[in-house]
Amino acid sequence: MNFDLNYFFEMIPLLLGYLGLTMKMAVLGLIFALVLAVTMAVVRVFKVPVLDWLVQLFISFFRGTPLLVQLFLLYYGLPQLFPIMVGIDAFTAAVIGLSLHFSAYMAESIRAAIMGIDKSQMEAALSIGQTPLMAMRRIILPQASRIALPSLMNQFVDMIKSTSLAFTLGVAELMARAQMEASSSFRFFEAFLAVALIYWAVVVLFTQVQIRMENRLNRAYQR
Amino acid sequence: MLKTLRGAAVALSLALASQGALAAEVVKVGMSGTYFPFTFVKKDVLQGFEVDLWNEVAKRNDYKVEFVTSNFSGLFGLLESGRIDTISNQITMTDARKAKYLFASPYVVDGAQIVTRKGSDIKGLADLKGKTVAVNLGSNYEQLLREHDKANKINIKTYDTGIEQELMLGRIDAFVMDRVSSAQLIKEHNLPFVQAGDTFETIENAWPMLNNEKGKNLQAELNKALAAMREDGSLSKISQKWFDADITAK
Repeated sequence: MNFDLNYFFEMIPLLLGYLGLTMKMAVLGLIFALVLAVTMAVVRVFKVPVLDWLVQLFISFFRGTPLLVQLFLLYYGLPQLFPIMVGIDAFTAAVIGLSLHFSAYMAESIRAAIMGIDKSQMEAALSIGQTPLMAMRRIILPQASRIALPSLMNQFVDMIKSTSLAFTLGVAELMARAQMEASSSFRFFEAFLAVALIYWAVVVLFTQVQIRMENRLNRAYQR
Repeated sequence: MLKTLRGAAVALSLALASQGALAAEVVKVGMSGTYFPFTFVKKDVLQGFEVDLWNEVAKRNDYKVEFVTSNFSGLFGLLESGRIDTISNQITMTDARKAKYLFASPYVVDGAQIVTRKGSDIKGLADLKGKTVAVNLGSNYEQLLREHDKANKINIKTYDTGIEQELMLGRIDAFVMDRVSSAQLIKEHNLPFVQAGDTFETIENAWPMLNNEKGKNLQAELNKALAAMREDGSLSKISQKWFDADITAK
């Protein structure tokens, strides 16, 4: 069998050295995407005039076009119109692109979770004098987070893997390194298998985190 | 007290300014890092023919060269948006590109190349009459050969694979392939072949720059360095290191 086991085992520690960069992009992307997504979901639930319309347009665009196209527009396209944007480095552009793209999906997941909370919860909160925003923050969102968690984790996993597109902007992340090493050794299968196993292991790890978080969030509902 | 402080500040800013003038100019060079043996990564080290060339240019022009690796599809975008100063990835000087970008003088000349066994009497196109010459399926070399062979004296055979095996066995007298690939093939498999004669239907590869003031200056500086490297043989030496052949000669 033409499989170089030694090379494969050499690749793993070498590639792991770039996992940090990949995870930094994914985690920063997740934080910004979540903030944006919660804001957009609330705007949509309250049907805030004008803003609701803008959010719908935003979601429509960022769900309706490929991530790669968005990254190209952001990094190569916009500086043509606004020369000041050349100052944005590739890493930052990748994080912005990932955040915007995935926030569109996450906003819809969160909105669905909010709508899944029984109307009586909001009514009860309002009846004891809470403002709608306060009720949203204290009563609705904590309950909705439990419902939204599985689908948000879905999108985060997708985001981790989508960081591999950042090489097109010049970020030499995990996938880029595998490609570059394979191009000189011609050991494509070994290099790509190593990188696949690394992504997989990371996702398995986050799945475990998800199970723990679900158990914790479910505590209040167990008898 | 205030005066001395002010004096110190002036002295410091002067020192910083003069240091700025002395510091090497930063040149950002984009490459894919995935094109062996031109630009590739081995054990975490970016290297290759292109990298060696730039290190040599840096020495001569007192540049600080920063290599920016990006997927090939992103390289021209990086150049267009001014994030890199040039691309070093075997960029072919096509007419469309020449109309839009400035190019330094070509550092690689590629083209159709006759390859034959060591000791063969074939020295160029003219010697192919009456010989059996192979070309690869999908290349336009048969058509090219026909244009140079109006009397139809060359026996051209088309192969899907195994062209080098056929030459080794003597079933064919020569084959035609592009010069750079054939040099790599001979070196990598240590084949007893030689490149015969000059290339025909040449293509030239060079470093593109944006057509602006900065690009013009860079073009002039690079051309000077390239000419000097061609003159003293260092260009050819770098080529020999990676290809056992001079792919930089015209």
